[in-house]
Amino acid sequence: MKKSLWKKDLYAGLFLLPFFLAYVIFTIFPIFKGLQMSFFNWSLIEKGEFTGFSQYIALFTDIDFWQSLWNTTLFVILSTPGMIILALLLALLANLNSKLKTLFRSAYFLPSILSVSVISFLAIFILQPYNGFLNNFIQLFGIDAEPFWLSNPVLAWVSIVGVTLWWTVGFNMILFLTALQDIPDHLYEAAEIDGATRWQMFKSITLPQLIPISRVILLLQVLSSFKVFAQILLITDGGPGTSTRPLIQYIYEMGFERYDLGYAASMSYVLFFILLVLSIIQIRAGGQGGRMI
Amino acid sequence: MNKIFKLMLILPFFLFVLASCSSDSETNNNAKIELDFWTLFGGGDLSFMEEIVEEFNNSQDEIVVNMPAIRNSDYYTKLVTSVAANRGPDVAIAHTSKIPELNSRGLTEPIDDFAEEVGLDFNEFTKNLVEGTNLNGKHYGVPIDTHPFIMYVNNDLAAQAGVLDENGNIIMEETPEGYIDFLLKIKKALPDKIPLAISNAGADPFRMWWAFYFQMGGSPIYSGDLSSPDVTIDREIAIKAANYVRSLFHEHEIVPLNLADFYQDFQTGRAVTMTTGVWATGIWETTEGLDFTALPLPNLFEQKATWGDSHTLIMPIKENTTREKQLAVVKFMDFVTDRGVDWAEAGHIPAKKSVVESQEFQDLPYRSDYAKVAEYVALPNKTAYGDMSKRVFEQNLDLAWTNRESTEKVIDTLIKDLENLVKK
Repeated sequence: MKKSLWKKDLYAGLFLLPFFLAYVIFTIFPIFKGLQMSFFNWSLIEKGEFTGFSQYIALFTDIDFWQSLWNTTLFVILSTPGMIILALLLALLANLNSKLKTLFRSAYFLPSILSVSVISFLAIFILQPYNGFLNNFIQLFGIDAEPFWLSNPVLAWVSIVGVTLWWTVGFNMILFLTALQDIPDHLYEAAEIDGATRWQMFKSITLPQLIPISRVILLLQVLSSFKVFAQILLITDGGPGTSTRPLIQYIYEMGFERYDLGYAASMSYVLFFILLVLSIIQIRAGGQGGRMI
Repeated sequence: MNKIFKLMLILPFFLFVLASCSSDSETNNNAKIELDFWTLFGGGDLSFMEEIVEEFNNSQDEIVVNMPAIRNSDYYTKLVTSVAANRGPDVAIAHTSKIPELNSRGLTEPIDDFAEEVGLDFNEFTKNLVEGTNLNGKHYGVPIDTHPFIMYVNNDLAAQAGVLDENGNIIMEETPEGYIDFLLKIKKALPDKIPLAISNAGADPFRMWWAFYFQMGGSPIYSGDLSSPDVTIDREIAIKAANYVRSLFHEHEIVPLNLADFYQDFQTGRAVTMTTGVWATGIWETTEGLDFTALPLPNLFEQKATWGDSHTLIMPIKENTTREKQLAVVKFMDFVTDRGVDWAEAGHIPAKKSVVESQEFQDLPYRSDYAKVAEYVALPNKTAYGDMSKRVFEQNLDLAWTNRESTEKVIDTLIKDLENLVKK
């Protein structure tokens, strides 16, 4: 009996080994390599001299760094509330006992399975001026306007946030939906016997029951929004000028266009540190028995 | 069950071992010299180059050139890292603008020594282009072409607008005002067409600015040492050139703002003229029903100039190469430049003078109309930062084209950013 258990563990280990190797080589090792790089003058091809903290110090006077960090933060601020509230509304809609339940569930989740390049080119196609779908649609209602969705800095943010919402809100919706279905029926039944209205039930049962999952979603959402990069690169390329360039794009430009991997690595570590602090705050704030993840 | 299970575990390892062996066994076939050739081409360019390589392989039986497919998007990153790791190709395509950077990292081999033995004579090339590959008296690349920024005219629409004379040539005075008058006349005659199609963000308006900056007699962007240059851009002229380009978008409203795809606008007959690189010639040619003329970008100011870059063949450093192999590389380079006419099909202007003068090239439609541009194209400055500064230029100039900042402020920030770029 014991022997077969040991054997089972061995088999499990063997199956895990390939992934574990890949994980060590492509994730764990680069994390430490990157930390090392951030302390050296490191070009794409060779390690230069040790620079200590000087690259970190240089960051503080780099306007482009601050601008792109602000752009990323702005994206987080703009997208996170929508990402949570809209996901909740959609989840409630998809949880209704209607005939369209399956349609709602799949329709809202469907965009999430598209790759970033597909949604970006769809967005460009829809948002382009003169013959784009959105502008033609607006003009159909007699509004004589030709908004430049991707070339005006304010509208460019609206477009990016809107596209990202449409693309990824489905994932959060699924998380909310599973939490909704986990709420025990007897709570509602008891409330019904007590004569509670639907709104009272929602306010006093549904919402409180959703708080733990909301925390998880908030944490995941903030982390992933801080990493925003690909859709902005493809839709506006950080433009007009650099007004929508997120931090990761600036890191990419520094590392792979200017071949300054050392500086790029130190910026990555600053971002890592920011995310670490935010995560700790959120997990701590989840206190009073509210375990996360 | 158990056996299948074990087999599944072992199989990947076998495959892995097999795969790592097989790459070694191919190299010794009949003692032919094998050369790896990397290019950044795609689409039409790629197939023309493939034809030339095949011709070369069939033309003799000592050298075989292999041309693996490399994705264009991160070509230079791949080239730089591979060469630095001694896994690079024997011969590769690089833009002239990129050679100083590759050179300053010690990744390229001078060619002069081998060229002499093979009989490749740099005097046979357009001087301007060879000059771009010459660093400190040595040639680090063999130019195969130049692809300048030029102008295309839709003949049918231009005739409708009344800007063609009886010979089908455009009626335009080559002055700053003359060019604008020409475009305004089109705008007036054909109000629902685009007089000039060009984007107001990114590479193309930057190229136009570059052309006019040098036409106005602007000083080189950088001077001095290759790897730690001084920024010597002429602020006043830079502003003047930016004002002129911006006036096409804003003051005169000749170019509609934020065109999503200005190539398509020209291709589908919505635009009367357009400006971009010569590579578009190949696209327009294969567009049914598009009757067009290709012309040099108008020289509106004191000097002749336009933006352009040039594809060259370079010999990356390689530790265990032999002189024999290096000579083979230069033989291949010589062959490719002689096949300039095939290459010109893509739209580029061949770099070898004899090819440009050949009847075969002169018989190609369109190309000969703009071939003279090669002599005065303003290539990017010789500096390790030439290629990297492109994004700096575009990000700053875009603010002028969208009219978000004054041109003075844009150029001042641009200069500051360029100085920061070369300081590191």
